[in-house]
Amino acid sequence: MAFAEAGLERPGFFARFAQEHLRVFFFSLGKLRQTPVAAALTALVIGIALALPAALYVLTRNVETVGYSWRESLQISLFLKDSVSAERGAALAHEIGARQDVAKTQYISRDQSLTDFKAQSGFGDALGILDENPLPAVIAVTPARSVGKAGVQELDAELGRLPEVDIAKLDQKWLERLYALLDIARRAVGMIAVLLGLAVMVVIGNTVRLDIEARRDEIEVMKLIGAPDSFIRRPFLYAGFWHGLFGGILAWLLVTIGVHALSGPAATLAASYGSDFRLSGLPAADGFSLIAAGIVLGWAAAYVTVGRRLALIEPR
Amino acid sequence: MTELIRFDQVSYRYPGGQDVLGDVSFSIAQGEMVYVTGPSGAGKSTLLRLIAALCRAQRGQIVVMGQNLSVLKPRRVPAFRQHIGLVFQNFNLLADRTVFDNVALPLVVRGYAYADIARRTRAALDALGLLRYEKSLPLTLSGGEQQRVGIARAIVTKPALILADEPTGNLDPKMAMDVMRGFARFNEAGVTVMIATHAIDLIEAVPKRIIHLERGHISDRLPTAASRLGETHGVR
Repeated sequence: MAFAEAGLERPGFFARFAQEHLRVFFFSLGKLRQTPVAAALTALVIGIALALPAALYVLTRNVETVGYSWRESLQISLFLKDSVSAERGAALAHEIGARQDVAKTQYISRDQSLTDFKAQSGFGDALGILDENPLPAVIAVTPARSVGKAGVQELDAELGRLPEVDIAKLDQKWLERLYALLDIARRAVGMIAVLLGLAVMVVIGNTVRLDIEARRDEIEVMKLIGAPDSFIRRPFLYAGFWHGLFGGILAWLLVTIGVHALSGPAATLAASYGSDFRLSGLPAADGFSLIAAGIVLGWAAAYVTVGRRLALIEPR
Repeated sequence: MTELIRFDQVSYRYPGGQDVLGDVSFSIAQGEMVYVTGPSGAGKSTLLRLIAALCRAQRGQIVVMGQNLSVLKPRRVPAFRQHIGLVFQNFNLLADRTVFDNVALPLVVRGYAYADIARRTRAALDALGLLRYEKSLPLTLSGGEQQRVGIARAIVTKPALILADEPTGNLDPKMAMDVMRGFARFNEAGVTVMIATHAIDLIEAVPKRIIHLERGHISDRLPTAASRLGETHGVR
């Protein structure tokens, strides 16, 4: 085929790619500006849909932080046999404290135990009538932070086998329950994120579908003048991009506002338990991931919708 | 002369419908200007649509610009169509784009540099006396002006072939004559032009070769006025 293209310069592939994408980038943004209310409502729906799993994610993160701070108070209590002398008990505490998987130890002698019990329990007079001190000496062992759940259990078992130790007691049931609940919450967040992600795709897909129907004549003209599907599809893909971007930004904003609104009461509650815990929001990296997720969902929804609809539109 | 279009025993039937064209054969050389005439429903528009690969013949072979359309893959159709200038009775302009943007569209599709697009678009608008309307929206123009915008869009890529389907159907006689003379000018510049029309008076004013269709078949029986032209410029 011989065609007259004299005097016309076709830029190289990358220049053409950049020129075309830049054109559509601003063209699609301009199209959204023509219908600001509809665009804002779409962004709001997407924003709320993305904000819900993001807010749950923030919640689990904060509960996890609380869990970790409580984790530091986790101790193994080694009740020593009555035959173990105070000197041996103190020496044993020192030996255990030197282990790498132990952060610190505290030896509490039988006398100290009795004194503490009298002071804290209010049964001091009752204990006075006993012939001898019924309380054992105790070594309180705090595992190192780096030791995981299994490691702590192993440490508990190992220390329980020491000849000086009568009973080793590790009370971490509550912690296990907390971690189990967090695990459920994390999975729930994942499932909700998938479901709401699909909802976002449906919303964007429907918006793009309506846009395609509104511009059906334009698409027909484009096909008549020989525009390839990639050219026709591009503005709609960018529309999906913009919807996802604005939705993602709005979701981040909503989560941030929510965290800000709850941080005061949360700090007050934490203070009442003697904790300096502060509610933390979505970290910047996660916030950008949220926006990226919005963009990917928007783009993908538009791609699927346009691909299906374009094939159905032929010039009359 | 180089053959630009060839129809070999082409038949076309609407999906699930009746025959529109039956055993149509003809050939058009590069640089020719041809009228496709015939009453409504004779198959004029379908013939142009087949040439533009807007539909595919069920039987026969169509070769346009060396491309056998029977074996043209769907994904190759847009690239093929980029080399044809199409003009329609209802103009087919984008109402929300300026005249300039409408005319520039085929060049944008082909990815030319913006400076070249602007230069070529203004040249096309200037050639059709539309430069002063470049920033106007199509609906603010008269029917004749809108059709000239459609023609400017068709010629802006300097196509080898222009197909016009009833281009004067919505125009008053004077504007219709201007448009027809415009096509003749492009033809004189070497562009092959094919116009589907039933406006015999215009054909008489700008006499060229005629392909006359009757019920989907090429016919030698021209309408009275056109028959004189057929004797001098050829039928089929």
